[in-house]
Amino acid sequence: MSNIPENLKYTKTHEWIDVQDTYAGVCGITDHAQEMLTDIVFVELPEVGIEVKAGEQVAVVESVKAVSDVYAPVSGRITEVNKLLEDKPELLNSDPYGEGWIYKIDIKDKYELDELMDAAAYAEHVAQGE
Amino acid sequence: MTAQRTFLYDDHIKLGARMVEFAGWELPVMYTSIIDEHMAVRQSAGIFDVSHMGEIVVKGRGAKAALQRLIPTDMGRLEKGKSMYTCFLNEQGGIIDDLFIFMLSDNEYYLVVNAGTTEKDVEWLTLNCKTNVAIQDVSEVTSKIDIQGPQSYNILKKIIKDDRLEGLQRFYFFTGTYKGEPVLVSQTGYTGEFGYELFCINNIISRLWNDILDAGKEYGLKPAGLGARDTLRLESCYSLYGHELSETISPIEGGIGFVVNATSDYIAKDIIEDQKKNGAPREILCLEMMDKAIPRSDYPVVYNKQDIGAITSGGFSPLLKKGIAMALVKRGLVTIHDEVSVGIRGKQSPAKVVARPFYKYNGKRL
Repeated sequence: MSNIPENLKYTKTHEWIDVQDTYAGVCGITDHAQEMLTDIVFVELPEVGIEVKAGEQVAVVESVKAVSDVYAPVSGRITEVNKLLEDKPELLNSDPYGEGWIYKIDIKDKYELDELMDAAAYAEHVAQGE
Repeated sequence: MTAQRTFLYDDHIKLGARMVEFAGWELPVMYTSIIDEHMAVRQSAGIFDVSHMGEIVVKGRGAKAALQRLIPTDMGRLEKGKSMYTCFLNEQGGIIDDLFIFMLSDNEYYLVVNAGTTEKDVEWLTLNCKTNVAIQDVSEVTSKIDIQGPQSYNILKKIIKDDRLEGLQRFYFFTGTYKGEPVLVSQTGYTGEFGYELFCINNIISRLWNDILDAGKEYGLKPAGLGARDTLRLESCYSLYGHELSETISPIEGGIGFVVNATSDYIAKDIIEDQKKNGAPREILCLEMMDKAIPRSDYPVVYNKQDIGAITSGGFSPLLKKGIAMALVKRGLVTIHDEVSVGIRGKQSPAKVVARPFYKYNGKRL
């Protein structure tokens, strides 16, 4: 069973957001996502300063076998990216909720957070094999 | 159509394999990690279920002559107990399939073909082998596992107790026994490492697989999936049907020009000989990405702002720890050390043309 921290919000496409205050968040991919991908060898980070919409592709994660898009859980502006991942993409495998964070975002519309899943709902989503 | 399962399906599930569909078969893509499985084969050994592959027996007084007409490789290079790599050509010089031919006797040959092309191969053989030749597709009753890597001999000798194993040379085979049933043991593979391919009837494959896994524990043997098989063969620059090879790609273009050596007549000989002498329209290049980027199949290859071809196979090399690829491009435009670029998600990523292969056949036996 994969790790699903209680304090995060989740998307159906297996991203997480840690809402640090109402207007800022840290985002990454879930433990389940990294398990499915295995052997992550490349991360294409977004540019700092760009505006993204909820559900829009914001980064790319490549495992040995496949290319996967990473989608923004909410709309906003990218304020920081995890440069460490350029040399150590495997941090996404070893610590997806910690050192493997991908980017920080200034949340444009806090009500979009209500559309996301809590840990229990996401656990259910994963259990259903989606 | 539901995917076929090999006789090792339950064993794969028990090992926690992640299954994928490939050429109509449900096969393990990995067990724990493609990189770990890849490195196990390079450093100790790995075992692969490749029961999906096709096996066809061609026999009769006319077998040798009939096969010679279908391939650009000299059948005279074979001897009893020896195998060779070759391909079937269509009239345009394109490749119907690439295959191994094992010579069982003067009048009997065992063909190992790709899973997705077995039916087509049988049709092609049937169409072209009319006199004194019998063709039998034995794929359904045959299972196949490969054990590959420098420790392969030490592991297999515990299971196949046969004096012939120790001195078995590359591309040679013998028929040994396991649980009283015949097993064809061949010193061949698709990984760039020393190793064996084993062919046997379906009902002993699970016991053979598990015995080898147990025997290999002390040597670090790992079950390996299609993912590692693909990265291993990519590092070794072994062409794969449907990627570097197809009905519209000739063997000269597809990186297997070394199979062209027959002097007697064969289908498309004029075209192939001309390409060998004067060059083919396209060629396979080996590319190493200069930045952190991973080239994948079908990505365009650009030189001097001109589209010169596309990636046929690409990925992350666990050994070199960078993106590598084979690409089919217009011949003669670029050469080793030149810089090209690969279009990845709309951006151009620089790549260096390097010598083939990325990883030379190792052949080390511990």
